[in-house]
Order: sequence, then structure tokens, then C-alpha cells
Amino acid sequence: MVGMSPHRNLKQFPPAPVWASSAEPKGGATLDIFANWIMGLSVAIQPYNIMIAAVGIVLGIIVGVLPGLGGANGCAILIPITFTMNPTSAIILLACIYWGALYGGGICSILFNIPGEPWAVAVTFDGYPMAKSGRAGKALVLSFLSHGFGAIIGVILLTFFAPIIAEFALRFGPPETAAVMVLTFSAMTRLGGKSALKSLVAIFLGFILAAVGMDIVSGKLRMTYGTVPLMGGFHFIVAVIGLFGLGEIFLTVEEGLKMEGVKATVRLKDIVEGLKELFHHRRILMLGSLIGCWLGIQPGGATPASFMAYGFAKSSALDKDQFGKGASSGVIAPEAAGHGAGTSATLPMITLGIPGSPTMAVIMGGLMIMGLQPGPMLFKENPSFVWGFIGSIWVANFLGLILVLAFAPAFAAILRIKFSILMPVIIYVCAIGAFAVNNRMIDIYYMIIFGVIGYLFKKLDYPIAPMVLALVLGNMAESAVRQALIMGRGNPLIFFRPPIALPLMLLALFLFFLPSFSKWKAKLSAKKKAGI
Amino acid sequence: MKLPYREAPTFRAESFKFESVRKGGKMRRADIYVGLFLMAVGLLVLGDAIRLGFGWGMSGPEAGFFPFYMALGIVICTFFIVRRGIKILKKEGAGKSLIRAGGLTQILWVLLPAAGMVLLTELIGLHLATVLYLAFYMGVVGKENWGKAIPLSILIPFVVYIVFDKVFLIPLPEGLWGGNIMALMPF
Repeated sequence: MVGMSPHRNLKQFPPAPVWASSAEPKGGATLDIFANWIMGLSVAIQPYNIMIAAVGIVLGIIVGVLPGLGGANGCAILIPITFTMNPTSAIILLACIYWGALYGGGICSILFNIPGEPWAVAVTFDGYPMAKSGRAGKALVLSFLSHGFGAIIGVILLTFFAPIIAEFALRFGPPETAAVMVLTFSAMTRLGGKSALKSLVAIFLGFILAAVGMDIVSGKLRMTYGTVPLMGGFHFIVAVIGLFGLGEIFLTVEEGLKMEGVKATVRLKDIVEGLKELFHHRRILMLGSLIGCWLGIQPGGATPASFMAYGFAKSSALDKDQFGKGASSGVIAPEAAGHGAGTSATLPMITLGIPGSPTMAVIMGGLMIMGLQPGPMLFKENPSFVWGFIGSIWVANFLGLILVLAFAPAFAAILRIKFSILMPVIIYVCAIGAFAVNNRMIDIYYMIIFGVIGYLFKKLDYPIAPMVLALVLGNMAESAVRQALIMGRGNPLIFFRPPIALPLMLLALFLFFLPSFSKWKAKLSAKKKAGI
Repeated sequence: MKLPYREAPTFRAESFKFESVRKGGKMRRADIYVGLFLMAVGLLVLGDAIRLGFGWGMSGPEAGFFPFYMALGIVICTFFIVRRGIKILKKEGAGKSLIRAGGLTQILWVLLPAAGMVLLTELIGLHLATVLYLAFYMGVVGKENWGKAIPLSILIPFVVYIVFDKVFLIPLPEGLWGGNIMALMPF
């Protein structure tokens, strides 16, 4: 970028617009939120939307329980069906698949010791021993209730903070958007617990895949190498289905899947007992939910949140001597954190247009296909849509809680179907999803290729989630970077423009270099000790 | 997701790294090859970005600007990954192989029928190809009872056909001849 422009003076940059901040009256904000919330709830409890929510949750639980399908995949496959609906019902369906998958992940980890998603790994430590020792019903009830509680904390946070953050984000120009993206990916690189170099490769690759095809600004064809199929580019849904779906199946068959589940029934007695237990461990429940909500706002935060909550519970819970043998708080903490993180991942998606998890990325991509650009303007332009969505999160999580409590054993029975029957059906469903996005046969081939890539990446520890995020955000990120550079007349210092972009960028750099710094410090202190 | 461990991994709060999750370092040869492959992809993109122009054009950054820096990033990162891989390979030997013994056969038994289904789809359409694929996989690979496999492999695509083609009006691929064959059906 050096030498691109003769102008190098920061003062020449136009200041960040401030028009959005001063115009709003301060007093009625809480009342506004309340009125909007009521409006959202009234949208969400329309019979059609309730029906959509129930269908979404049931489908979500099924994809959450099945190996090789997860929330991200379920949403990706069903996006073509949502094209026929109005946008509010469409997002209710997609979001409900997500909530359902979160509940379903709990069933899978507790009864079968198979974590459906990375964050659910922490649930298996105590959930499975508990189920094995004959308390399967109680483990499930604890898990579901903690999910419900985590969701409530998350959605309260969302309801009150989303309008405030959206209002704030209205002041964002291209440099600020670019800074938020950098912050997103820097947090993701470090939170994933994988090698930073490999995370960076995954992110860059995602951006490159997004850029294949026609350039939105100049209309030039990029990276097509003269071939026709590449002109259409890669659709993120196809990538998600291949990377998460087929990749997962390859891993599963290689390891030789054995489904040895614990049979469970949920009785009314279990529910009463679970509620009592939950009240007994209310501190851990609250702590888990808050950790989940806090870390969940950051992309890729669900997994560290559930481990962190588990770690806290292990060191401070009332039943810490029971850990590893089926402690109640060992189930409560990670489940509450996982669902809290999942819910609060909605916050950056709806306010900033930055999805906090792969599933959120798919949901956001679906919205973009419908012509809705998530971000601060959505609150202004489409309040009934945004608040309908927020209202549906309230309704759907209660509905989900009731559904899982009532039908958990039925959902668990899905996993007892033989793998040789399930597996080809899953591949078939994946192929339909990949084809239906663009009605292109080539996408099914891409899906298989992405499946192989996903398998290799998982084996060699390249993270997949940042790549999917980069693929979804690719166009947005590129245009933000290009517009910002045009604003700055080629000077990259525009990305550090005060007052908003500068702290965001500094935070991003801090997050990125923090682990390396603490490693370096640890080395230094070890040397000191050795010296003494 | 099925992970190979079942015990609580060591947890370091300051960096959120779970040591047991980091298994990639053990398959060194595969690590190096995949690194080299990604580097080649990066170089390929770099070439196209240079062709498009990655500097400052008439209206701001040129079309190749963004891909250029992304590809440059890949090339630099993979260089370090490969260098680290070779270093450890020389010091500690090849480590684990990428695929568990016997695992490749299992994967090919999934991959090849699936690829076969896709190729068949080009000819007879997705619905009919699926009937054959499901029957083959359940009956031959899964050694399922044919009395169960055949009804299932007809029923499932049939339900999907009704839901997608008839209810939601989303046409699924018909292939070269599939449309003609499906036209024979009474609904």
C-alpha cells in the first residue's frame, strides 16, 4: 500500500459523521425499547409464526442430534425453502433451527457422549457419567433448563443492548466497519485455540473464495482462469454444507462410529427435581450464563465460554468433589454458557452485521439473499422485522424448552437408527441443499470437494469457522477496505481514524498479540527462576 | 463432532488453548503437503491478482488489490507452517499418518458411491439416482436387509420429491433423461 498516494496527512481525512448521535431524544429510550419489544412479541406469537417456530425447533433438534448435520448445515440446507416465505417468518425458521440444534447438542453429548458441536465437549465430562449412572432423565432436564436460563439471560441482553449498539453503529463509516472486521477475525483467531498461522490461512482463503467471480466494483472477472463454472463464484452455503456436513461424515466413518447410547425417559419427577437442583446451584447457573453471554458476543466465543464456565464450576461449585462422576453443576455451567453464547451471538449479527458463529453466518447470509443487510440501518428501515425476530427468540426458546422436555427420548431415538441408513440420507439431503441454492449442478461437485477440504482441515487443525465467516463477509469486508482507502486517498492510516476505528484496531491488535505476549512473559519468568 | 478424547483437557485461561485439541502437529508429512498445496493456491491467486492490477487505479484500489494481499498472506503464513513442519519432521520423525489404518477404505466407501450418485444425477436426475444410491448403500455397503432397504430407498426420495418439486416448487436436477422418466409418473 506504500506509495499509493501523495497525501499522508491524517488531518485531511473527513471526520466520522456525528449526525446520528445528537438527534435522538435521550429520555424515552427505555420506553421505546419496551414498546418495540411488545410489538416484536406480538409478531412472534402470530399463529403462523408459532407454527414455523415449532417446525424450526423440531428440525433443529433433529439436525443437532444427527452426526454430520448441525445448526449451520441445517440452516444452509433449508435456506432455499425460506425463499417462499416472508422475511420475518424466514428468519424465525432459521433461528429456530439454531436454537433447536443447541438443545439437540445437549441430548447428543449427555446420552451418547458425542458432542454435536465443539462447545458441547465440556458437557460430556459430567453429563455422560451422570446419564450412565442411571440419572439420564435428570441430566437431560438439568441440561434443558440450563439452556433455557442461558437463553433468557442472552435474550434480555439482546433486547436491551441491541438498539443501543445499533444506534452507536450508525456512526460507522467504511474504516470503522473494516476495523470491526479486523477485531472480529483477530478475536476468532485467538479464541479458537488453534495455531494462529493456520487460522490466518483459513481466513485469507475464505476471503479469496468470496472474491472468485465478478468484481462488484470494476466488473472484472477475478480468479476464474478462463473457466465458465468459476465465473459464478463459490456460494457460502455450498461451502458450509461440504465443510461441516461431508467433512464431518468422513471423520466419523474413519473413526468407526459406535452409537452406544443411554436410554432415557423424562418424568415429571425429574423436572421437579431438576428445578430444585437448579435453584440449589443458582450461583453456577448465573455465572455460566453470564460467561456465555459475555464471550458469545465475540465470534467463536461459545467453545471457550463453555470450557471456562466448566472450569469455574469445577473450582467453586458446591459439589466439586463430584466432578467427572456426574456433578450437576458440571452439566449446568457449560450448558448455560453454550446456549447463552449462542443467543448473544445474535447481538453482533443484527446490530453490526458481524455473525458470531458459523450458524449465525449462515443465517445472516440467508438474510442477505432476501435483500436484508443486517446492521444498524436494519433497525431504522425494518423495525418490525428486527423486533419480530427478537420477539421470536423469546417465544422460541420457551417453546423449545417445552418441546425438548416432552420429547427428548423420541429425539434420542433418532440416533439409534443404524448409521448405514442415516448416512446416505444425510448425504442426499446435503446434495439437495447444495443444489437448491442456485439450481446449479456444479455446486454438488463443489460440495464434495469442500467435504474433502473440510476433512483435511479438521485433521490438520485448520479452523473451519473463520473460513466460513470470511466467505460470508468477503464482499462486505472488501468493499469496506476499498471505500476506506478511497476516503483516505490511499493512506492506510485511515483504518486508525479516531474516535471509533482507533480503539477498535488497538483492541484487535491487543487481542491478537496477547497470547504471544503472555507466552513470552512466561518464558521470561521461567528463565528468571532458572537463573535464581 | 467426535473428538478422540474424553477427559477434561488442560485449560489455560489466558490463551484459551486446549492442548488436547491441538493434534495437527502430529501428522507432519500431511501437514507439510497441505501447507505446500495451499501455498500453491496462494501463488496462483497472486498471479491473477497481479494480472488484474493490485495498485491504485482510476477509481481507488484496483480489482486485484484485495485478493493480492490475501494471497500474499497465505503464501507467507504457509511458508512458516511448512518451515516449522520440516523442522519438527527432521527432529522427531514423521509422527502419525493422516488417516488411521483401514480408515481410507471406509472413507472411500462413502466417497465413491456419493460421487457415483452425482454422476448418475447428470443422466437420470437426482430422485432416480438417489433410489439407486440409497438401495446400493443400505443393501450392499451397510448389509441391510433388502426387505427394509428397498422400500426405504424408494420412500425417502419420493417424500423429498413431493415436498420440493410439488409443495415448495423447488425443481431438483432432472439430468439428461430424468425429466422424461418422471413424466411417466401419475402425479
